Amino acid sequence: MMRILVGTEKGAFLLTESGSDWQVDGPMFPGWKVTAFGQTTGGAIVAATGSNWFGVGVHHSENLLEWKPSDSPPAWPEGSDRKMEQIWTFHNQGDRLLAGVAQAGLFSSDDSGMTWDPVTSLNEHRTRDQWSPGAGGLCAHRILSGNGSMWLGISAVGVFRSDDDGVTWVPKNDGIPSVDTAEGGQRPEVGYCVHGLAHDPVEPNHMWRQDHQGVFRSTDGGDNWERIEDGLPAGFGFVMWRHPATGRLLTVPLESSDNRVPVDGKLSAFASDDDGASWRVAGSGWSPAPQFTGVLRRAFDGDDNGGFCFGTSGGKLWLTRDLGDTWQELSPSFPRIAAVSIVA
Amino acid sequence: MSVTVRIPRVLSQAVTTGLRHEAEGETLGAVLESLFSQEPGLENHLLDEDGRIRPHVLIFVDAARADLDTPVAPASEIQVLQAVSGG
Repeated sequence: MMRILVGTEKGAFLLTESGSDWQVDGPMFPGWKVTAFGQTTGGAIVAATGSNWFGVGVHHSENLLEWKPSDSPPAWPEGSDRKMEQIWTFHNQGDRLLAGVAQAGLFSSDDSGMTWDPVTSLNEHRTRDQWSPGAGGLCAHRILSGNGSMWLGISAVGVFRSDDDGVTWVPKNDGIPSVDTAEGGQRPEVGYCVHGLAHDPVEPNHMWRQDHQGVFRSTDGGDNWERIEDGLPAGFGFVMWRHPATGRLLTVPLESSDNRVPVDGKLSAFASDDDGASWRVAGSGWSPAPQFTGVLRRAFDGDDNGGFCFGTSGGKLWLTRDLGDTWQELSPSFPRIAAVSIVA
Repeated sequence: MSVTVRIPRVLSQAVTTGLRHEAEGETLGAVLESLFSQEPGLENHLLDEDGRIRPHVLIFVDAARADLDTPVAPASEIQVLQAVSGG
């Protein structure tokens, strides 16, 4: 029985498979944006809420319906000129729960998200004064870890890697065009707009990146990136996901930075079975009617069993249970979808 | 000196014991400190990182808009308003 948590502009919803249909519970956190989901080492689900007026929140649940708020969500120190605008992502690393936030920063919790400390090595990085926001703000939105390394994606700054458990961080964007430097100009150390990041959990240095400037891969942990767009209708987009067992990649291309909808309204995921060397439309089931909608950078999730779901800025969910061979649009409609999580 | 503090429904996710509270203090700031000791999840939502009332949060003491230094009389009623800015 599949369950899907959906974070939207107006609360969260829990979809539970019920025969051929879906039971919808919610909205949870009515009136609040729900921007990220995560899981603690103990198995509790965490949700991030946000408001244009009341700041951010972190909530815990064991049953996905009753939630307990953290008394002390991530916050910049008193006197800081930064604002805690949104929690973009959670990542469970060992006994630590990490959170990526806007204005860009990394926070760490040793008590399953009840209290948080800033990761100063990243937040006060020597390049900080050169960090600039993208259209989605200055946001740390993707965290990966494996084989002793950590990666953090920040828009519009780039990918950082730490090989010493977060003590030091090094920008890793060679091969990626900068968002604000003319071709042939001197490459800046930061100023790269990563949108999505995935890697192979067995060989974590094998990485795939949906960037503002296209789709790329790296086989050396981000030291070097090469463009891989053969078969894609556009290089722009936000989604990058890799199925752990088969290595199949999925992305959802959008036309361009200036027009963030599918090319000609043809909404579909694209799949690659050769590490991104070539791409094709993923399976069947896509709507024949135009779908001029977008997919935001945390609005997707997949599981080990071939389940993958993404939500659109138009409030619809698309689901595959067979790794992208067949797709269905789920019938409920929601507000703009910011976060999706498939829960066991 | 006990006063009543009412908070808007949208903040129900941050409290454990309802939307009406009794708190102590002779200024709004002191009353809020008393309130936060009962409901610590509220502090982050009403005050910013520097301890000031968030820009779009309005708090009234006996129907008059107040700041943290506003005196609070015995039996005053304090109302935190749902934010009204935005679309």
